[in-house]
Amino acid sequence: MTKEQRLKKRHSAEKRFRFYGLASIFIALLFVVILVHNIFSKGSSAFMKTAINVDVFFDQELLGIPNNPSKEQISDADLYDVAIESILKVYPASGLDQENALIDLFTIDAEIEIKKALIKNPNLIGKTITLEITASDDIDQLHKGNYPRELPEDRRRISDYQLQIYDTLVEDNKIVKNFNTYYFQNGDSRDPELAGIGGALVGSFYSIIICLLLAFPVAVLASIYLEEFAPKNKITDFIEININNLAAVPSIVYGLLALQILLATIQLPRSTALVAGITLALMTLPRIIIPCRASLKAVPPSIREGALAVGASKFQSVFHHVVPLALPGTLSGTIIGLAQALGETAPLILIGMVAFVVDIPSTPIDPSSSLPVQVYLWSESAERGFVEKTSATIMMLLSFLIVMNFLAVYLRQKFEKRWN
Amino acid sequence: MSEHTVKSYEDELRQLIDSVIKMGSLTESQMADSMDAIIKVDKDSIDKIIKSDDEINKFRSKIDTQIMTLLVKRAPMAIDLRETISSLKISQDLERIGDLSKSNAKKIKPLPQDLPDELLGNLKRLGDLVIKQLKEVLDSFVNKDFDKAKEVWEKDEQVDNLTYIAMESVIDFLSKDKKNLDFSTHLIFATKNLERAGDHITNIAENVCYLVKGEYLKGNRPKGRVIQE
Amino acid sequence: MSDIKIRSKNLNVYYGEKQALFDVNLDLNEKEVTALIGPSGCGKSTFIRCINRMNDVIDICKVTGNIEIDGIEINDKNLDVVSLRERVGMVFQKPNPFPKSIYDNISYGPKIHGKGESKDELDEIVESSLRKAALWEEVKDRLDEPGTGLSGGQQQRLCIARAISVNPEVILMDEPCSALDPIATAKIEELIDELKTAYTIVIVTHSMAQAVRVSQKTGFFHLGKLIEVGETEKIFKNPDNKMTQDYITGRFG
Repeated sequence: MTKEQRLKKRHSAEKRFRFYGLASIFIALLFVVILVHNIFSKGSSAFMKTAINVDVFFDQELLGIPNNPSKEQISDADLYDVAIESILKVYPASGLDQENALIDLFTIDAEIEIKKALIKNPNLIGKTITLEITASDDIDQLHKGNYPRELPEDRRRISDYQLQIYDTLVEDNKIVKNFNTYYFQNGDSRDPELAGIGGALVGSFYSIIICLLLAFPVAVLASIYLEEFAPKNKITDFIEININNLAAVPSIVYGLLALQILLATIQLPRSTALVAGITLALMTLPRIIIPCRASLKAVPPSIREGALAVGASKFQSVFHHVVPLALPGTLSGTIIGLAQALGETAPLILIGMVAFVVDIPSTPIDPSSSLPVQVYLWSESAERGFVEKTSATIMMLLSFLIVMNFLAVYLRQKFEKRWN
Repeated sequence: MSEHTVKSYEDELRQLIDSVIKMGSLTESQMADSMDAIIKVDKDSIDKIIKSDDEINKFRSKIDTQIMTLLVKRAPMAIDLRETISSLKISQDLERIGDLSKSNAKKIKPLPQDLPDELLGNLKRLGDLVIKQLKEVLDSFVNKDFDKAKEVWEKDEQVDNLTYIAMESVIDFLSKDKKNLDFSTHLIFATKNLERAGDHITNIAENVCYLVKGEYLKGNRPKGRVIQE
Repeated sequence: MSDIKIRSKNLNVYYGEKQALFDVNLDLNEKEVTALIGPSGCGKSTFIRCINRMNDVIDICKVTGNIEIDGIEINDKNLDVVSLRERVGMVFQKPNPFPKSIYDNISYGPKIHGKGESKDELDEIVESSLRKAALWEEVKDRLDEPGTGLSGGQQQRLCIARAISVNPEVILMDEPCSALDPIATAKIEELIDELKTAYTIVIVTHSMAQAVRVSQKTGFFHLGKLIEVGETEKIFKNPDNKMTQDYITGRFG
């Protein structure tokens, strides 16, 4: 082969290689786009909820409360009658069946929404205002276009009469969409229109904080000890191999561990952020130790020698000089480990977080859920309303993960700039 | 002695020593020719001897250049440094010796053919000794022979003595007939030149000793009888 | 005639099975510069690292024999290594300033040894160390900038200032100029000239010319043995030992 032929062959090989690279990047991006589009298209609608404009008359007689009532008196009052009166005025319905059908178009919590409005503005007593009352899940999905209208009536959840009411309301511009605060504020609920990730958010938040507070100091100190102070012998080699292996252990095994020790033996309360935090901490420990050790190892020995030569003790040389330099790598490893912990589902299921938790936990020892578990639970439900919420929650999870990863990159760059 | 790791360094030093040796040989043969010419009062060889001095001077510049190069390139240490500096000094002494032989050759012209045998004999003995000293000292340089150099250094005493004797016979010849004054002064200078050549040879011997041992010889040079000047 | 500051007697050093120094007996004089020369791996760095017990950080390194500083044995297990290193400072081959500000680089040593409690005291120590290292004029306006932002020569002078900041008696230098350009090297050599009036200096160097220029005494090491030691001018003009001569004239290997 002549020199020119060889050159040509090499050039075409390089061109091909570049093509393969670009093609694989393109394919990967394509998958990302498909995934994101899929999730976004399903989930973005969850952030809005359908509501119906209702003229609510706060009839003082029906309310049964005195003039200038205190907040307590308002909270104790029964607004059921006011609610039903106002709702029934929305559409001429005759007969109990039709009335019930009309009432079913609204959320079960309609009374509570009206009460909240009154508490907010007690001057409304005796007056009428137009409130946006949240629609029921079926109407919500219908309005969002997810509901098949063509099916025969006995196979539909919405009757023809209800469809009639709906169409009229649409014509009268009485159906609106507003921001779905319930999604963020409420805990889980059987009614999809009321279900929210509030509980799961707080649960995840507590779990991650506990995980961080337990795993980070222990992992960093363990790494420092193993890397800088421990003698290099068979025992420490053995420990290192085990730590590396532990990072690869399937997370569900940690769930089993937690089940046996934390729940059965120590008898900590089930389904709590405390237990979740401890389990996640155990799982995250090796995932922090490995990058931390690598960062410590990467600090050049000249730094240690420089410190020792000036009369620093081993302890001072490690903590004043080596550890600060290892911090960027450790922090990125920690944040990535936490991001992984945030998305863990299997071990949390084992410790009982599949329970149906309605209330938002106020302390880490209250029963709670977590974001990924909430996704799992909703994905199993039949109602159409949960589909969009599942996707929306996946979007939330992904955004948290992206933010955490960016934070890791940012912190790493900031520290590296400082030290260099 | 093992060789320098850098071959060109080794070569440069060798070439410097080589130049000194060659310069020494030339000086040796020039001195022999000059002495020969005086004894035989051979006026034809004067030009040849004067010309050969040019060759010797050429070596002087060559050695100067070689030494500058060695110093700037190699920063020689220990024995290499001593060899370099000694070569410089020795070449200076050899050049002076060459000049003296040339000067002596020039003095042959006015000499008569019928100089007394005793005078010539004393002159020849002095000349032979000086030539032998030069040969010995150059050998000691080549072989880095401390003892030989020291011997040469000590023998300067004998050179002084023979000079004294030769000088006496010239003065004697001069006093016999005033008309000999002209070429007698030449003969006096020629004798003195031989003594001075001997001093330069002693310098060379001292430098060889320093080259080998790294210290200068202690004590004053042995001096023989001298004519008060 | 100077007093003897550091004296080693029958000093042997082993790295595991391998012996690195064999029965080294060497005296180093006070307020003088002693140069240690020799081919790579001959043990000169190992020797100076014994003087400030830096070999302790190498697990497999074993040191037997005596080293005395001012008559006090330092190979003693009970010796406080930290206070030893306060008295014996070290400058390394590759400049290794801490990744901190110039000010913090210098003030770190005094701080951990409890010298300079008030900010004023520390300021003074920093300024005087930088002045002694001939670096003050160049950095006095940017003490907050990172030490790693200086040029190679400046970084090395910073390391020297750092070594001086704890007020040592001995400064060990392990090939301090090998990573520097000729001008930076000249500045360091000038600095060594000035420093020798106040400190005992031991310098390991690969440059023969540098050893001649800066030192008063020179020791030649080969394969872990001290072959010859003596006045610098004598060693380089007329060494006694043939191996020494072969090394300094480039006839080795």
